[in-house]
Amino acid sequence: MADVDFNIKEEMKKPHLLTGGTFACAGCNPVLGIRLTLIALGRNVIMVNSSGCMTLTATWPFTPYRIPWVHGAIENGGSVAAGILMGLKALKKDKDTHVVVYAGDGATYDIGLQSLSGMIHRREKIIYICYNNCQFANTGHQCTSATEKYARTTTTPPPIGNPLPRKNMAKMMAMGGADYCATACVSFPFDFIRKLRKAAKVEGSVFIDLLSPCEPGWLVKPHETIKSGKLMVESGMWPLYEIEKKKITINHKPEMIPVKEALKIQGRFKHLTEEQIGEIQETVIKEWERITNGRFWEAEEY
Amino acid sequence: MIDILDGNACAAWGARRAKVQCVPVFPITPTTEIIETIAAWKADGKFPGEFVVLESEHSAASACLGASMTGARTFSATSSQGLLLMHEMLPIISGCRTPMVLTTVSRCLSAPIGLWPDHNDTLAMRDAGWIMLICETNQEVLDSVIMAYRISENPKILLPVIVNMDGFVHSYTRTEVDVPEQKLVDKFLSHPELEVRLDVKKPMTLGIPAMGLDYMRYRQQLHKAMLDSFDVVDNVQKAWAKVTGRKYEFLDEYKTKDAKAVIVMIGANSTIARSAVDKMRKKGKKVGLLRIRLFRPFPEKQLRKALEKIDNIAVIDQNICPGMGGILYPEVKMALSGCKNVVCNYIQGLGGNFVSEDDYVDILNDVLKAKADDRKWQM
Repeated sequence: MADVDFNIKEEMKKPHLLTGGTFACAGCNPVLGIRLTLIALGRNVIMVNSSGCMTLTATWPFTPYRIPWVHGAIENGGSVAAGILMGLKALKKDKDTHVVVYAGDGATYDIGLQSLSGMIHRREKIIYICYNNCQFANTGHQCTSATEKYARTTTTPPPIGNPLPRKNMAKMMAMGGADYCATACVSFPFDFIRKLRKAAKVEGSVFIDLLSPCEPGWLVKPHETIKSGKLMVESGMWPLYEIEKKKITINHKPEMIPVKEALKIQGRFKHLTEEQIGEIQETVIKEWERITNGRFWEAEEY
Repeated sequence: MIDILDGNACAAWGARRAKVQCVPVFPITPTTEIIETIAAWKADGKFPGEFVVLESEHSAASACLGASMTGARTFSATSSQGLLLMHEMLPIISGCRTPMVLTTVSRCLSAPIGLWPDHNDTLAMRDAGWIMLICETNQEVLDSVIMAYRISENPKILLPVIVNMDGFVHSYTRTEVDVPEQKLVDKFLSHPELEVRLDVKKPMTLGIPAMGLDYMRYRQQLHKAMLDSFDVVDNVQKAWAKVTGRKYEFLDEYKTKDAKAVIVMIGANSTIARSAVDKMRKKGKKVGLLRIRLFRPFPEKQLRKALEKIDNIAVIDQNICPGMGGILYPEVKMALSGCKNVVCNYIQGLGGNFVSEDDYVDILNDVLKAKADDRKWQM
C-alpha cells in the first residue's frame, strides 16, 4: 500500500526532532535509529526510554529531544508506556499520539521481557522498538540473550565467547500476540521507516527489533558501523521480515554472502575458529530455509 | 452516607470520590478487594476512569509513573512483597515529583510466608521520598485517600502519598463509616489540574541523568518539598475537619497531657492500646497514648513537644529491623535527643500475632517501673 502522505525527501528537509549534541559515540547506530523513528512518526510521539546507552543522550541540563521523552527504569519500558497510554485515554488524547518505547536489547530480551510481554498481551497501542546492539553496551559490553553465539563480550571472553545462541524475539512477540512484528536494521533506513509508517496505523501492539551496530561493542571502526549492519543482513545473519497475523513476509532478499565476510570486520568475532564460523554459516542457511519454506513457526533445535 | 464498610472498600471509595482517572494495579492479599471493588464499579459503569491489571506490581508502579506524567489522577494499592517489588519505582516516582496516591495494606514479609499484618512492608518505604499517612480506622483510610490527593497535587509539593492501613484488621473488618457525598468532595478536591508533562505540544525531557552537584540539588529539593509539606498536610487536615467535622493531626494524642507513661505506636492496634489506657486510667494510673499518623515527613518537633515532659515512654514496634531492633524506636529517640525520659522499645504483633488489651496493660505497667531504656520482645 502506497504511503501517499509521506515523502521522505520532504521529511528530511524539516528540522530534526532529535537534534545534534548527544553524548552518543561516533558511529552510534542506536541514536541514528531514534532519528529515523522521528522522521517516520513525526512530532506526535511520546518516547519512553529504558535504561541503556540512549538514556545518556539527554543529561541535565541538556536535551536533544524536541518531543516529550521519559526515562523510567530498565525493566519497565512496556509498562511505563502502558501507563502513559492509560493517562492519554483517560484524558481523551490518545487518538493522534504515538506512544513509542525505545529500549536496548538487554532491557528487552532480558530484564524487561515481562513488561514487554504484558504490553503485547494486552494489545496496547504502543510501538516498541528494541535497538538491538546485541549486548549491554552502556555498562561496558556484557552479554545479553540477544548476543550472537561465540561473540566476545566482557562477560563472555575468548576463547569460547558466548556459548548460547540468541533468542528469536520477533518470533516470540508474534506468538505472544503482537499485532505487527518486524525485524529491521539501521543500515536499511527506508525499510525501517516504511515499517514504522505501517506500525503507526496498527490498532494494537507493535514490536520492531532494530539491529543497531555499536562501534565500541562490535569493535568496528566508527565509519564501518553501517557497513557492518549491511553485511549482517546480506549474509542472512539478520533477515529482514515482518509478521502480520502469523504471516511472515521477507522484505529484503539477502545476497547470502558468506558469514565470514560479515564477521571479519567485527573485532568481537576475531577469535573464532574456522569450525565455529562453519557452524554459524550452517545455522544461518538452516534458519533461512525455515523462514522461506514456511517452517518459521516450527520449534527451533538447539 | 453512613455505611458498614471494611478498610479495602474505604480505600476504593476514597479513590472513587476523588474521581481518580487511572488505576494501574496488580492483585495481592490483602489488597485485592480494593482492586476487585473498582473492577466491579468499572463493569457497572460507575467508575469512568481507566483500570488496567498489569503483569506485576513493578509494572503497576511503572504505569503509575507514566499515567501521572500525562496529567491523569492516579491511584494504586498493594501489600507486602508487592510493595517491595514496587520499591524500585517509588524513589523514581517521588524523584520525578509525580503526584499520586498508593494505598498500602500492611502484611508481613516473607520468609516465612505470612498473610497477617505487621509494618515491615510499609516502613521499608520510609526513605523513598513519599509522604506517609498511617491510619488507625477505616474512616481514617477513606478520609486520608481524599486528603492525600489535595496534599500530593499541591504545586509546591508534587509528592506521591502512601496511605497505609493494616491488612485484615482494617482491610477485612467492617465498621461504620461515613462516605462523604460527591458534592462535598468535589468542593474540597478540585477537578485534577495536574501539570501535563508528557505533552507533544510542549515537549519535556524527563527522568534524565544529573551528575555531580546537580544530582545533590535535586535530592535537596525533594527533601525541601517534604519539609514544606508539613504546612500543606496541616492545612488540608484542617480544611477537611471544617467540611466533615473529622479532625486529624500529625500526632494523635490520647490522654497524654498529665500522663506519666505513654505508649507511642502506629496503626490499627492503637485502638486496642487506647482501651488499655482507659482501663489503667480507671485504676488511677496516669497513662496515655500517642499515635504517629504522619510518618513522613517525620514530625520530629511536634513529637518532642508532645513527649519531652513524659517520664516513661513505651515505643511499640510491630516490625523488626534485624540487627537493629524496632524501626520507630530510634526515630522517637532522635526526636527526644538530650531529654531525660526513659524510653523502652517493645517488639510485638509480628506476622499479625494477636495483641490484647492486657498486653498493653502489661507494657504500661512494665514501662512505669522502668528506670532505664530497655528493648524487649512481647511474645
